[in-house]
Amino acid sequence: MGVTLHKENSLTRFLRWVYVGVERTIFMGLKFTFPSRFVSPLGFLGMLTFVLFIILGITGALLMLFYEPILDRAWNSVKTINDVIPYGFHLRNIHYHASNAMVMVALLHMYYQYFSGRYKIRNEILWVTGIILGVLTILEAFTGYDIIFSERAELAISIAASLTNSIPIMGPQMRDAFFGSGFHDFVLRFYAFHVFFLPIAMLGLMVVHFPRFLVFDVPMVMAITGAVMLTGGVFPVDMGLKFDPSVPPGITVPEWYLTGLYAFLRSAYDKFTTGVAWPGLFIFILLIVPFIDRYKKFSWKDRPIVTAIGITSLAQIIVTTYWGFYIDPDRTKSLLERLVIDPVFLYLVMILLVPLSFGFTYMMIKLARNAEANAKIQPKKPSGKSSINLSEKSIYLIFIALLAFQVYLNIAAYYAVLAGMKNYSLFIVGIIMLVFAAMFHVYRHGKSMQKAPPPKPTVPPMPMKAKPPSLPKTGPTAGEVAAGSKVLEDSVTKEKAIAPSTKASTSSSQSVQSVNKTESTGPTHSEHKVVSDEKK
Amino acid sequence: MAEQPSPKSGGKVSRRDFIKLMAAAGTVLTFAPFVDWGKFLPNPTGQSKERQKVELPDGSQANVNNFPVNHSEAVIYPKTNDAALNKESFRTWQFIRLPEELGGKKNDVSAFRLYSMVCLHLWCLWKYWPQEGRKRGECPCHGSMYDPQTGKAFAGPASLQAPPNNVLPRLDLEIASDGNMWIKPPNWSVNGNGIVGYGRYLT
Repeated sequence: MGVTLHKENSLTRFLRWVYVGVERTIFMGLKFTFPSRFVSPLGFLGMLTFVLFIILGITGALLMLFYEPILDRAWNSVKTINDVIPYGFHLRNIHYHASNAMVMVALLHMYYQYFSGRYKIRNEILWVTGIILGVLTILEAFTGYDIIFSERAELAISIAASLTNSIPIMGPQMRDAFFGSGFHDFVLRFYAFHVFFLPIAMLGLMVVHFPRFLVFDVPMVMAITGAVMLTGGVFPVDMGLKFDPSVPPGITVPEWYLTGLYAFLRSAYDKFTTGVAWPGLFIFILLIVPFIDRYKKFSWKDRPIVTAIGITSLAQIIVTTYWGFYIDPDRTKSLLERLVIDPVFLYLVMILLVPLSFGFTYMMIKLARNAEANAKIQPKKPSGKSSINLSEKSIYLIFIALLAFQVYLNIAAYYAVLAGMKNYSLFIVGIIMLVFAAMFHVYRHGKSMQKAPPPKPTVPPMPMKAKPPSLPKTGPTAGEVAAGSKVLEDSVTKEKAIAPSTKASTSSSQSVQSVNKTESTGPTHSEHKVVSDEKK
Repeated sequence: MAEQPSPKSGGKVSRRDFIKLMAAAGTVLTFAPFVDWGKFLPNPTGQSKERQKVELPDGSQANVNNFPVNHSEAVIYPKTNDAALNKESFRTWQFIRLPEELGGKKNDVSAFRLYSMVCLHLWCLWKYWPQEGRKRGECPCHGSMYDPQTGKAFAGPASLQAPPNNVLPRLDLEIASDGNMWIKPPNWSVNGNGIVGYGRYLT
């Protein structure tokens, strides 16, 4: 079991019994690692996406208690949630910002996997399910902001419906099926999609999408949760105006992940081409990319064409996303003139971005190659930023300072809630999360310091912020992660049989082997230990 | 990827497999016509098999003998017992008696029009403006304008949309012997009465 509890009582026996029982389930097939050092979050962005999904699930479930998906009540009920329901403001803001964060993190996750070439090596299934999950994530976010039924939501629904309609042959029938007829049906059906159909499909896909090795980095998870709340505090989401069909709506643009598509729609070119065919083509190319990528190597430097295609898509996405937001501020012109983007101009820019991106990629690869060659010629520097060395005393000091700050923040948050300063309290809770992340990190650092006494020089240099080596499996630095969690585990228990050897080893195969089921409990126990330490 | 093994049988399909395939394809083809294609998730509250009154906002039934020329009213169709549903844009229709120069003086159905009020551009509610020089449907949102005689958009963003997205859905009317006006059961398709919020082909 890996963890020896000092005392046996009925509770620990029960827990042990549960643990043994769980061993038979699928969860033990997943290999969780709780890194004991800072590891680049790029490698476990997928896990962060999942964490955000869970946050969305919880806040969404609570919002469901108050939201009414009825034509003339939807907006009012959201207003009530925002203004009247205790903590409704917080729930709504966390839900909104977490949805944005989830789309963003999922996109980053995709591009990281793309450029690091991990989607090949028999990970095609992961990649394809990931793309479908990404599309569903955007649909989920889209249906979410539509069911508020503000002016912007109505515009979004009408555009979505007209796009569905424009699909040849099946279009009108699909619109009937997905949207029903009339606003009453739209709101109700989008709600059904938002809270059930899409999440359940996503959960199903996730089962396939999860790789066997998962990294759960507590401080990073805390940090991202904190960041979501902090953004919610600084940029509280507004209500928008209630949709009234007889009042001219203001100019609204969709959420940022759809403005790229919106830019194409605004070119007033054929709806099907701009709104369905282009995004469809984009998604299709993403789906088949691991099958057309024939390079034997993984690094972006060794796959120039694939990298260039990726850079092109990024450039086009960034340009169109901005373009979709941009509306000519000249109010003397007619609305149509301000909104419509000249299709010739738009498509010309899109085409122009291709050679530019290819050139840029060529230049980047050349520079990277040069840098590599230079690094080989020059004598190795004594590993620039090897590690930050803090004395034991200063670690304690930092820890106590952070703890005091936490206490202060908690009091501040409490008073902010009492005073009705909703977004201020949300902001503070965000900071509390971030401080907790920092504390956990310091704690973890101290633990590993304690574990690695005098013989320092033998410790292999750790890439702190550098790109993690491209190991074929999920974790960016599986070796370190494995070694780290061992250390944590050992600090709790007294058995020290394997720890020193695994710590020294950096060979991936060995450490991946050592990441076994026992780890999944070890670190959690050490967390409890943190709490008890604080109390002392 | 590249190193996929080639099929062992050399790409040949055995007789048994072929027959199985034929049986499967036959089964699918047999049942395909019986599937109610395209009517998977309809909402039957929009359907009506019987004629309904043209009920004006004051609750009375429109009558050909006293409805003023060059005038319009909002009509709810299909009307339900649910006040919330009756507020639905997709159930609001503009009942117009055409101006004199378009034949509004006649005492038959040709003088009347019943168009969906949902603008074909982005679903605001347009309405008929009877003033001299206007006499057309105008949408407050982006300025689409509709010809009262045909329901075709002639200006604004809706007019730029390709057919059938530029002609308003229209309900057919009939007049009883007492002059009361009734709405005939509609055929919700682009070639029939049109699809609300989508459009109709001009025939």
